[in-house]
This record gives sequence, C-alpha cells and structure tokens, in this order.
Amino acid sequence: MIEIKNLKKYFPIKSGFFNSKSGDVKAVESVTFDIPEGEILGLVGESGSGKTTLGRSIIRLIEPSEGEIFYNNKNILNFNEKDMRSLRKDFQIIFQDPYASLDPRKKIVDIISQGLKIHTTMNKQEIYNKVKSIIKEVGLQEEHLNRYPHEFSGGQRQRIGIARALVLDPKFIIADEPVSALDVTIQAQILNLILELKEKYSLTILFISHDLSVINQIADRVMVMYLGHIVEVASTKNLFSNPRHPYTKSLIETAPQIFRKNENKILLKGDIPSPINPPSGCVFRTRCPHASKDNKEANIEMGLIEVAQDHWVDRCAINCN
Amino acid sequence: MKSEKLLSVQNLKTHFSVGNSIVKAVDGVSFDLESGKTFAIVGESGSGKSITALSIMGLLPNNLAQVDRGKIIFSEQDLLTLEEKEMRKIRGNNISMIFQEPMTSLNPVYDLAFQISEVIMLHQNKNKQDARKIAIEMLDLVGIPEPQKRINSFPHELSGGMRQRAMIAMALSCNPKILIADEPTTALDVTIQAQIIELMQELQKKLGMSIVFITHDLGVVSEISDYVMVMYLGNTMEIAETNEIFSNPIHPYTKSLIDIAPQITEEKRKIQVLKGEIPSPINPPSGCVFRTRCPNASSNGKEGDIEMGLIEVKPGHWVDRCGVNCGHLRT
Repeated sequence: MIEIKNLKKYFPIKSGFFNSKSGDVKAVESVTFDIPEGEILGLVGESGSGKTTLGRSIIRLIEPSEGEIFYNNKNILNFNEKDMRSLRKDFQIIFQDPYASLDPRKKIVDIISQGLKIHTTMNKQEIYNKVKSIIKEVGLQEEHLNRYPHEFSGGQRQRIGIARALVLDPKFIIADEPVSALDVTIQAQILNLILELKEKYSLTILFISHDLSVINQIADRVMVMYLGHIVEVASTKNLFSNPRHPYTKSLIETAPQIFRKNENKILLKGDIPSPINPPSGCVFRTRCPHASKDNKEANIEMGLIEVAQDHWVDRCAINCN
Repeated sequence: MKSEKLLSVQNLKTHFSVGNSIVKAVDGVSFDLESGKTFAIVGESGSGKSITALSIMGLLPNNLAQVDRGKIIFSEQDLLTLEEKEMRKIRGNNISMIFQEPMTSLNPVYDLAFQISEVIMLHQNKNKQDARKIAIEMLDLVGIPEPQKRINSFPHELSGGMRQRAMIAMALSCNPKILIADEPTTALDVTIQAQIIELMQELQKKLGMSIVFITHDLGVVSEISDYVMVMYLGNTMEIAETNEIFSNPIHPYTKSLIDIAPQITEEKRKIQVLKGEIPSPINPPSGCVFRTRCPNASSNGKEGDIEMGLIEVKPGHWVDRCGVNCGHLRT
C-alpha cells in the first residue's frame, strides 16, 4: 500500500550572521521499504536513530529532502497542498506523549470532532453521533466527551488520542511510541486496544518504538534503524529467532527480561554518534563488536541484502560475523 | 536472613496533607536491607516507590509531608528522629541517592569538578585540590574516558549515559554504605541502560555497598536485585528473593505484573490485561487496596473488610494477607 524509495531527510544547520549553511543533520539516509495493506510494521531503534523523522516524513508532516513515497501507486511528494489535504484523512498519527498532544483548552468532543469538521460534510448531529460511537470504541464513555484533557489519566488520554486518529476512518496510522509513557498494566491495555481496532478497521500501521519486547508483541514485521539507516528488516519471528546484524543482536540481548539471565551478553560500547558527522562507511562500525582493527568497514557502502526470504540485512554485517 | 541488617524500615507511613484531604502515599511499609545486597522496589507510577526512598533520605518537605510514623533504623539510630543537622552528616555520606533524570538532577551552571568535589569537601574534610583528585578518580572509576579533561565539563556537554555515570560518581564519592537508585536507567536507551546496570553491579562488587533499586521494569529487577518488594498504592503486596518471586509469585498483582511484562523470548500471544487503573491515593479502596483491579476479587466485595498485612508464607517470602487467600482459592 505504501512504498518508500530512497527517502532522505537532511536538516540544514544554519549559523553565523547571514544564516549560511554550515552542515546537515543527516536524520534519514536513503531509506527504501514498503508496507503492505493490513500490516503492522515495527520500527525500532535508539533515540537519535531517525525513527520519528522517518515516520513524519512519510506523511509529509516533515518535507523529505529526496526520494519518492507511493501511496496506492501515486507519488504523494508530487501532490500539491490541496491534494495533500484530502489525503491527510487517510493518514493519521498517534503521538507518544498523551499530555502534550491534546489541546488543554479544548473539550474532548472538540478534539475528536475537529478532523470531521475539516474533512467531511457531516452536520452537527452526524458528527456528534460519530464521535460518540468512536469514544465507546476506545473504551471510554459518552459523558467523558464534555471534559477537558487534564481530567484524564495517561492511559485514558492515549485512548482519546487513538479516538481522534480513528474518527476519520483512516487507512494508514503512524503510532509514534504510543505506549512508552505508560505503566506496564496500562501499556498492555493500549496494545490490546490497538490490535483490536486494527482488525476491526483493517488498518495498516507503522508502529515506532524503542522497546523490542513491545514490538515483538504487536508487529508482523520489524525494521531496525540506526543513525538514519535501516540495518535489518525481517518478519518478527525471524528477527527475534535469527537476528543477523550485530546491532539487532545486541539490542535483543541487552533488553532486560524476567526469565533470562544473560551472563555474557554483548554490551555495546559508547553512545550513538552524532548524525551531523556520522562515521563513514558502515555507520555502526564505531560501536560494532566485530569491527576490524584496520578499519576496512569505513570504505564499505551501506545497503540491504536479502539473506533469506524477506530477511534483509545491511551488507557490512553479513561479512563481519 | 543471615547477613547483617544495614537498614531496617519498619511500618513507614508517609502522608501528605493536600487541602482538606490526606494522601497516603506510603502506608505502612517494612523491609530490611542487608549489607552488600540489592533490594528492588517495584510498582506502577503512584505506588509510593519514590516517596519511600525520599522518606529514607529525609528529603521531603516538612511542612507538607508527615513522615512521623514508623521507624527507619540505620546504624542503631532512627533516622526519623534525627535533627536536620545530624541527618545532613548521613545524607550523601553514608546514604546517597541517584535519580532518574540526570539532566535535571545535575546543576547546569556548575562543572562536574565543582559538583563532585563539593560533596567530598563537605563530608571528608578535604581541601580543594585533594577533593578534585578524588573526583577525578571517581570519574575514572565509573568509566568516563579522559577524566582529567571531562571533570571540567558542564552537564549539557555530556550524553545521557555519561551524565548518569557522573551522577553515580558523585553519589559514590564518599563511599556510602547505601546507594538509593530511583529509576536510574529509565530515561536511557537499552544499550546505555545495559552499560549502566553493569557498571552498578561492578561497583557494588568493588565497593561493597548495598543498593535500594527503584524501578517499574521487572526485567531490570531480575538482572540486578537479590530481593524484591512489590508495592501498590502505598502498600507492600509481596516481598521475596528475586528468584523466588519470579518462579513462585503468590499475590495476584505480582502475578499480573509478571504476566503482562512484554517478552522478547516468546512468540506473540494475546496480551494479558489487568483492568482499570491505579486508584487515587486520596481515597484508596477500603480493605485490600488492590481489590478494585484484582482478577480474583469476590463478587460480594468481602475484600473491602480485610485488614492488610504481610504474612510469611515461606521463610523470607512475605505476601499480603488478602493475596494469600485469594491465590489459594484460585490454584
């Protein structure tokens, strides 16, 4: 349904008196992938890996620097503002922080119905009925509609955020860390809700998270991102049972788990480098446990290679183990 | 419990008065910390984990909080009865604390040299040069590269992981007997979290301090702690050794937390759900505070009349009375 080709996003860094460009933050580097209809694609990576920028670029909340985005075989980067606006109805986003993403001065009913007012020709009563049915769908009551965001807990707010996204019957949803700010018991409730609604409304979802165990529960397929690059893509089952990239391996091994005492896990040294000046060649080489002494990884050009059916890994990682 | 008791918290109650109502943030918590061991406190937001820690440190404002009931025994004195002046000698010296968000807990306008040597000069009567030397040694100990250079850095010049290392250096600079760590890895990425956990374990072996580790993440608990206390709405639900609590949880809340925790190692399944949310501590449920969310709660609400209290079901494994019975009914 959605096809991304060589998508790139550089943010210019401006400095000095004339605001001359002094460099780029290379947030997303030539990313290519597709999302088939009805799939939950997990996107995982550390902070600074470019997950959020990628998500927002796909629906043009951030204008990509280069590349193509096909939605139903049309390149939406060629759309003008008017075409784009009518398309926005199909694309919705659920944000991480349910405290910051709801307007504190609006009632819930206004927050949820705003999209309907803009995108549809429904009259007041129809809008209200629609909002009423959607709020029940996400597990809240009609009487909640006349309250303000501060009257709700984090979990309830996230339900409101989901209702707002769903009210326009979207086809594609970007869920940007929707459960990271929630307690585990509430997290489980929201994940279940997303799974239920996905079936009911036949949604396609890009689910962004830094938490591999959440991704394991919800995604059909997983993309691992590091410093703007996709380093591994595979079905959830394959990725967790047979990770190939050393970064994926170490993410899986270092995630704390209740029933696993992992004594000799591979700890990654250091921090993720700055995307202003990423390492040449394989961007992971500065933290890679397999990096060679003579630094030959610096001359490798990155790119995904299919190692098994639908299991893609960055070229450098195939040789290093 | 064989080894020496270093800290003993007995029936601690911390209540806040808010307007006309009283928030029972911690309502009768007891536990012992053994020397050289790690004691984890687990629970959701609002369960009273952090307030327990702050009560031990004596860091709650006197005008708001009443930490007047219960006892906190450390080296034969009750910390709750100490004057602020005496408490100041213990805090940061014998008992120190690290926090969740290293950006907000380090002072942004001072460099590390000032912030770390301040503690050392205050508690160990060192002059500035010696304090600085110790501070550099501490930074080296916590794995900050080029400590001579880094000691002049300001907090904003460091990454999240490095800041947390600097915090740990500061907390350990007076060689405390107890380190209280309040969600020290929650704000960090997993790869950095793993580094910090390993660092804390290494330092514990080297320096022999005890750790009170507060977290909401059971995965982290299983990696780091010797004992676990599960808290809910200011009350203790269950205390046991780490292995025991994961292999043989008895309280339905502990069971749900373990069931719910997302796993990497198993295949997708229907996610277990605990209904509802943690109630407000202003008006907690009567009787067993967990009853409003308990999957085993009876339909006649008889848990509303139960008085809460821990029962020792096995040596060293304590469970709240209500959880013991309903666990038995189920199995």
